[in-house]
Amino acid sequence: MIKRVEINYRGIFQKNLGKKIGSDIVIIASGMGRIGFSNGRYSDSPERNGIPCKYFAFVSHDLSEEELEAECGAKLDIDQCDISVVLDDTMIKGVEPWGWHGVRPINEKVQPGGTLLVVTKKSQDELLQFIAKKPYSWKLATYSGDLSFGGLWVFRDDLTHEKTLGAVAGIDPDIIGIEAVEKYLNHKTPKEPARAEAARQAYDEVRKSVRTVKPGEGVEWKHEIPVLPKWFQFMEGAAVPAVKRHFELGPKGQSRNETFKRGTTKNQRPVVRFDLCTKCTLCWLECPDQCFDQTSDGLYDIAFEYCTGCNKCAQACPVNECIVMVDELQFTDDSSPWDAYKANPQKYTEWAEEKKRKGRYIHPMVTGTGLEFVEGELVPFGGKRAGQKT
Amino acid sequence: MIAEEPKIKNVYEREDLLTGCQAVSQAVRLADVDVIAAYPIRPYTEVMDALSKIIADGELDAEYIIADSEHSQFEIVKHASSVNARAFAGSSGTGWCYGFEALVVTATDRLPVLFLVGNRALDDPGAFGVEHNDAMAVRDMGWLLAWVTTPQEALEHVLIGYRVAEDKRVRMPMALAMDGAFLTHSQHMVKIPTREAVRQFLPPYDLGDGRLHPDNPISIAPQVNEDWVMELRRQNWDAARRARGVIKEAYGEFNAVFGERYSTPFFTEFMTDDADTVLIGLGTVCAPGRTACRRLREKGEKVGFVSLRWFRPFPTIELRESLKRFKAVGVVDRDFAHGSPDDGGILMHEVRSALYPLKNRPAITNIITGLGGRDVSIDDCIRMYEIAQKSKTDDKLDNFVTWIGVRE
Repeated sequence: MIKRVEINYRGIFQKNLGKKIGSDIVIIASGMGRIGFSNGRYSDSPERNGIPCKYFAFVSHDLSEEELEAECGAKLDIDQCDISVVLDDTMIKGVEPWGWHGVRPINEKVQPGGTLLVVTKKSQDELLQFIAKKPYSWKLATYSGDLSFGGLWVFRDDLTHEKTLGAVAGIDPDIIGIEAVEKYLNHKTPKEPARAEAARQAYDEVRKSVRTVKPGEGVEWKHEIPVLPKWFQFMEGAAVPAVKRHFELGPKGQSRNETFKRGTTKNQRPVVRFDLCTKCTLCWLECPDQCFDQTSDGLYDIAFEYCTGCNKCAQACPVNECIVMVDELQFTDDSSPWDAYKANPQKYTEWAEEKKRKGRYIHPMVTGTGLEFVEGELVPFGGKRAGQKT
Repeated sequence: MIAEEPKIKNVYEREDLLTGCQAVSQAVRLADVDVIAAYPIRPYTEVMDALSKIIADGELDAEYIIADSEHSQFEIVKHASSVNARAFAGSSGTGWCYGFEALVVTATDRLPVLFLVGNRALDDPGAFGVEHNDAMAVRDMGWLLAWVTTPQEALEHVLIGYRVAEDKRVRMPMALAMDGAFLTHSQHMVKIPTREAVRQFLPPYDLGDGRLHPDNPISIAPQVNEDWVMELRRQNWDAARRARGVIKEAYGEFNAVFGERYSTPFFTEFMTDDADTVLIGLGTVCAPGRTACRRLREKGEKVGFVSLRWFRPFPTIELRESLKRFKAVGVVDRDFAHGSPDDGGILMHEVRSALYPLKNRPAITNIITGLGGRDVSIDDCIRMYEIAQKSKTDDKLDNFVTWIGVRE
């Protein structure tokens, strides 16, 4: 019997979190007399900020370590898993870790009866608007938590790690048991009972929240999975054809690399108030991924498939409320905002303000209070045109 | 020697979850290494990360020097070794090759530095996955070269490696090779020995009269003429030959201290007792190889797997004696030797050459697989067994080399 856990995390920001969860699953399972090991998808490293990455933990009750290693180790990726943990809910829109990999459904590896386990503050119905349908039934479970982002050398100690261990125990005690999780956490930090309590709370939460997703429930997956060339189809000499240069005005007027879009790197996206734009060009200039397209009227459209949500445009924009970063789960498609604005400026502006009201992204503070959505200043259509940021 | 000393009660201090790289760094701590030179390249980098932390935490008192390149890195440890400092370095892929000049002279100067080679595909294209050609580059230069397959074995072979390399009869640098990613970055529970047990197994490094010191005036590696070189090569040749016996001794004494960890020093056989067809390979390919073997055994197929550990010195006699029992041997190469005889891989050439003196040789077939970190699955290994079984009756060399795992 083999239990496979996949941990989806955001590159760099959750590197330590993902590894810590994978390691502790093995240490706790091993304390229960089980055999386990853990590794990461090596190709994910070196990671870029926010890119979807994976860590794995494998546990067995009856196999020897060598047999477990043979079944699960020395592999780039897994074929299927019992639990797929998602440490940032915006990854449910799909994951594209490398070029020529395609945008894959977040539940791609979830086997029949397996569980997609998401830390989120969204409802399960909201999440299912984005997750691919499968031909068999699987389970969705959620536990409440803020986005836990740290850095390359920084681990954000906000109990997401403990909660995830509790949640995994809640879904499948054959991987780790909740008592063993509590014992481990209490042994490691005897003076901090809050850690084991957080694990227990998430354990209870997922047991209540877990639901079966029926075959066909979810969305039709529209992203193609690329087929890699055979050895005799490559150019000789490690040469790869480049993207042909092309430019014209208008949305998507510049040629871009179709084999690596990187859009699934973002967990937030810029919402632009075109009516406030002074055409200063700073967003277009500063964007490190060349996502901004020049248009015939001097405004800049955004190719969201290529936007990594880095926030540089919003920081560079000198006009108050003109570019605001909004939670990625507020959007269901990557259509052109400039087209929508041109079709109906008033309606577009109302739409933009609605998105900002619901999902304005505030960077979590180091105190661990998490992701917050707060009301911004409402700027009327076409009003306060040259308003300076303060 | 060891048998006369009192048996140590606690040979292990604790168990911890460690990657292959972290396991090596723990062994370097336990071996009380004096000088470490570092220069980053994946997958070796995690070793230098872990070692710098061990030193910063006060668990090891060693000079830790970050070099400007692999060439300087390897020169630093070579020189440190010559003044009787136990030295450690490591690298991967093209980084290892960049320091090649230093690697060659370390062997000729007979300085027993231990290097970790986290196997990585040679550029181009820039890739990170495992391929064995990097470590194989030193195979003809007077080096000790061995592959390990688990973090536990990695830890233990740093200790065994120093013991063999520093032995007066050997004094050769040691390259400890580990499959990049699959072993260097895979976390397993590892038993960490006590210092006391390690001290009992690994004697202090003592160069004796070969030590470069003002009190022992010698000159190492002067410029020489044609009348010197061949004699020095002859010495190296002899040392490499003596190393086989020293390796056997080392495993005997390792088992005496740590319990019966290794039944055979040079390679490990799996389900070979009544086998007629075996696969032989280096590194982590043994995991899917053995599982495939187990599955075929359930169907009544007489198959086995041989995991080769020591590549230099090559266990000629032992392997010949072992493999002559079988009808067919499939050699699994995670490396390439383009344009070589029959266009096979490096390991195949070595195995075939070792079997040549036999009157009744097993049929040999060659599989090239897993290059650049490509997965080798259990099903792939089942196919390899089928190919090897077929070679018993089909001796046409057209199908001598099979590529498995390449998109075709």
